[in-house]
Amino acid sequence: MPKLTMDAEVNGRKVRREIQPYSRLLDFLRDNLNLTGTKEGCGAGECGTCSVFVNGKLVKSCLMPAAKAQGTRIETIEGLAGLGDLTPVQRAFHKTGASQCGYCIPGMVMAATAALRENPGADIEEIKERLGGNICRCTGYTKIFEAVEMAKAVIAGDAPETVLEEDKVGDSYIGANVRRLDAPSKVSGRLKYAADMKMHDMLQMQVLRSPLAHAKILSIDTSEAEAMEDVVCVITEEDVPGNDGFGVFVHDQPIMARGKVRHVGEAIAAVAAENVLTARKALSKIKVEYEALPGLYDPADAMKPGAPVIHDYAPDNLVKHIPVRKGNVEKGFAEADLILEDDFRTQQVEHAYLEPEAGIAYVDPDDVVVVISPSQNITHHRHMLAEIIAKPINKVRFIMSPVGGGFGGKEDMIYQGMLALCAMKTHRPVQLNFTREESLIASAKRHPARIHYKMGLTLNGRITAISFDMLSDGGAYGMSSEGVMRKAAILSCGPYEVKNLKVDTRAVYTNNTPSGAFRTFGAMQAQFATESMMDMAAEALGMDPFEIRRINMMKIGAKTHTQQTLETASLDRVLEAAETASRWEKGVPNVRGAERDDLNGPDTRQPCTLGARIKGSRNETHPYEKVA
Amino acid sequence: MSRMKRGRGMAASWYGIARTATIDRAGAWAELDDGGTGKVVTGVTEIGEGILTVLAQIAADEMGIKPEDVTIGDNDTARSPEAAHAGATRQTYMIGNSVALASREAFRVLGEEMAEHWDVDINDLRAFDGELWAEGTNHRMSMDDAVATCKARGIVPVGSASFTAHGTGLDPMDGSGNPWQAYVFGTQVAEVEVDTWTGEVQVLGIWAAHDVGRAINPRGVEGQIEGGVVQGLGQALMEEYITDKGHAITHGFAKYILPTSLDIPQINSIIIEDPDPKSPLRAKGIGEPSLVPTAPAIMNAIYDAIGVRIKTLPATPEKILKALRDHVPGHTQIARDNRSLRAKTARHGAVTV
Repeated sequence: MPKLTMDAEVNGRKVRREIQPYSRLLDFLRDNLNLTGTKEGCGAGECGTCSVFVNGKLVKSCLMPAAKAQGTRIETIEGLAGLGDLTPVQRAFHKTGASQCGYCIPGMVMAATAALRENPGADIEEIKERLGGNICRCTGYTKIFEAVEMAKAVIAGDAPETVLEEDKVGDSYIGANVRRLDAPSKVSGRLKYAADMKMHDMLQMQVLRSPLAHAKILSIDTSEAEAMEDVVCVITEEDVPGNDGFGVFVHDQPIMARGKVRHVGEAIAAVAAENVLTARKALSKIKVEYEALPGLYDPADAMKPGAPVIHDYAPDNLVKHIPVRKGNVEKGFAEADLILEDDFRTQQVEHAYLEPEAGIAYVDPDDVVVVISPSQNITHHRHMLAEIIAKPINKVRFIMSPVGGGFGGKEDMIYQGMLALCAMKTHRPVQLNFTREESLIASAKRHPARIHYKMGLTLNGRITAISFDMLSDGGAYGMSSEGVMRKAAILSCGPYEVKNLKVDTRAVYTNNTPSGAFRTFGAMQAQFATESMMDMAAEALGMDPFEIRRINMMKIGAKTHTQQTLETASLDRVLEAAETASRWEKGVPNVRGAERDDLNGPDTRQPCTLGARIKGSRNETHPYEKVA
Repeated sequence: MSRMKRGRGMAASWYGIARTATIDRAGAWAELDDGGTGKVVTGVTEIGEGILTVLAQIAADEMGIKPEDVTIGDNDTARSPEAAHAGATRQTYMIGNSVALASREAFRVLGEEMAEHWDVDINDLRAFDGELWAEGTNHRMSMDDAVATCKARGIVPVGSASFTAHGTGLDPMDGSGNPWQAYVFGTQVAEVEVDTWTGEVQVLGIWAAHDVGRAINPRGVEGQIEGGVVQGLGQALMEEYITDKGHAITHGFAKYILPTSLDIPQINSIIIEDPDPKSPLRAKGIGEPSLVPTAPAIMNAIYDAIGVRIKTLPATPEKILKALRDHVPGHTQIARDNRSLRAKTARHGAVTV
């Protein structure tokens, strides 16, 4: 394909580069100019991490063909302030703690800058709307809003520049709001995440993934791919020199499918090539013969006799069952005046960290295999990889690159093994950057749960017994399922002292996308059910929700569900703090919203109506356009 | 009937700190370095939560220097001591305490030299913000000079430490055991508005009270609460990864809906500090616990507003509308009838409802 010559003014300097005709503006900035402050989060214009200015207008550079920016004036995060300097917006992000993982932050700073350039007097509602195209997964946006308002005041001269500076400390740094030390590198786009790193002579890797949920692999023919110009190596499970298998608790997952695929998106083979396009083309030349197997897509079906078996070692498809028993539940239910029984379900949830998985592997001069990736568990990954590639543990080195959001989703070693293998086969650095779509289908999710709940209570609100049964879809591999089931079981019945309980949590294998670690590790699924039941019980017994919880709460000396004696317990304090701060109006939770007097306080926001708040936009919004 | 209905709900929660049902450990090295700066090395740190800053604060406090003068070497299995993994609400508790102990050790090494140099009792030495002095004397020195003095005496002030949390495994039959040595508790209140024409729910306010032990960086704690609440809100109202026979239907952010700036309630964080008696820092944690009560608080608030109890997450507009349709007309009446039935049955002995 003939190349194009691209001329533009980038951050105040004229540049000319040869680009591919299919290059996006994002590729031009990142690959041709090495301006990696502009991030790729989704490649589809949905997340805003790639936001830049073109002729002064905020655009998502992943959606703009580079050739369309021919002759334009482009401004990126690197060009907002002078070298080593920060703009008031960037300094305000630093001050308020508006950057956490930092991956969305360059785009967010661009959007905030655009908002204040276009309307220096924008109120908070307009600011929120102008940031509406940029997703942040870490901060809950609140500190970002605070930062934009602070910057606005400083720019307008309504607040002195000193508000952007570090607060004074007293006689200790413990308890002080020290500004984040890593924020300047994040708000300026200087911090290099794994996908931003480049090494000399580096290859690009791509992964062939299964289109089938459950199938035998009859054969894999990589010969045509291997024969391609610029393809340097192709790997399959046959290339694994050691004991293949990883997982947080049970090592049931090979680094590439071994004789069988168990979920759509599972890695089958990987290609390392001189460039990503060649690697991608080579994937299409790999021929895989499958024999489809009956699939399991419902966790309840997985437990039925005669169900397809996903892993030979687990003929009943059970990943883990955790029982917790305390007291005598039959006796407890017999003592109850009221018994509530109900079912709850939670969904599979994606971590949606803005940084898709990425990594680099190389073999160093001392023959140490080095993997650089945003892994949340380099310690365990080093152990597992040493086994898989049959090397002494000190010949495997894991470096955790800056993590652009994890939330548990980067605890699984789903690609580092392939990178290491390619590096060992080629003795060149190898990089793999996931696309968003790839990240979605290949990475673990929050366990979806089905909970059957039975709670017995006396008329005065005391819980006499709980029976709690949770079934979770673990998906195709064990990953963190065992630990998630354990934590769910331990915390299941909530922060209440329950004398009699019977708790069972189970995770089963299916052919769905695997479930794994996700912030709360099973606790939110379990306690969603418990806290719903507590309110239902309060309604049935005519009690205030805080009251019924106080009657049952764990105090110092309480025996937990696993019969641990608590030496400290602060539920009384947090209940009181929340009740007081929210000006909670006591009453039975019996659909009394219409009669409440504690609504619409100064500590709530106003409901929003999209498109109503940007100056110059039409104010009359059709009632049906009101959105959440 | 008015279109917009408001309501409030609450939920409580608890959580364990650090790894579950097992012993947990983390190691760290520390050095009081030239120029009165500090160097800390440990196995795993930042995944966005702000732990780097927290560790710098801890090391600075222990070594008597400024957080910005602390350099942290980290995240490398071949160059730093093991600190296990970045998750399980364990960073402040495990790595924070190991950095505190290692820094304390480095300072003690320096202190022994300086006490001898000044001929004072080591227990009278104090240091803060780059200054070292001996209480009740005129001895005072910059940390820069103190490190030079220490080194001139032939000693490099270094320390190392390992911190342990003593969890135990669960009994395989009855699950009994001591899974954690530190627990935290939380309570959240949610205020919502439900559009009964479209089924859409807006969360207008969240009051989040969480015990975090000693808060090392309160602003960072708020950031964790706000982030957790919004992830909880996403799971409560919109997020759902859907597959059809194993194939993802929600294969991009156009299909997998995430909270944006327009979905964010005013989040009112209340930090409760119930100190941990078992660790030198007395801090606990907040990363995961902040997410736990959000979804049930929102579901309880939706019930308060419209009398519909959503038991299957997420409470999408479609689900709310269907639930309302199934109950219309007079859905609140149904809820009330149900309540009086329950109360009646309760009065007449145990009945399953």
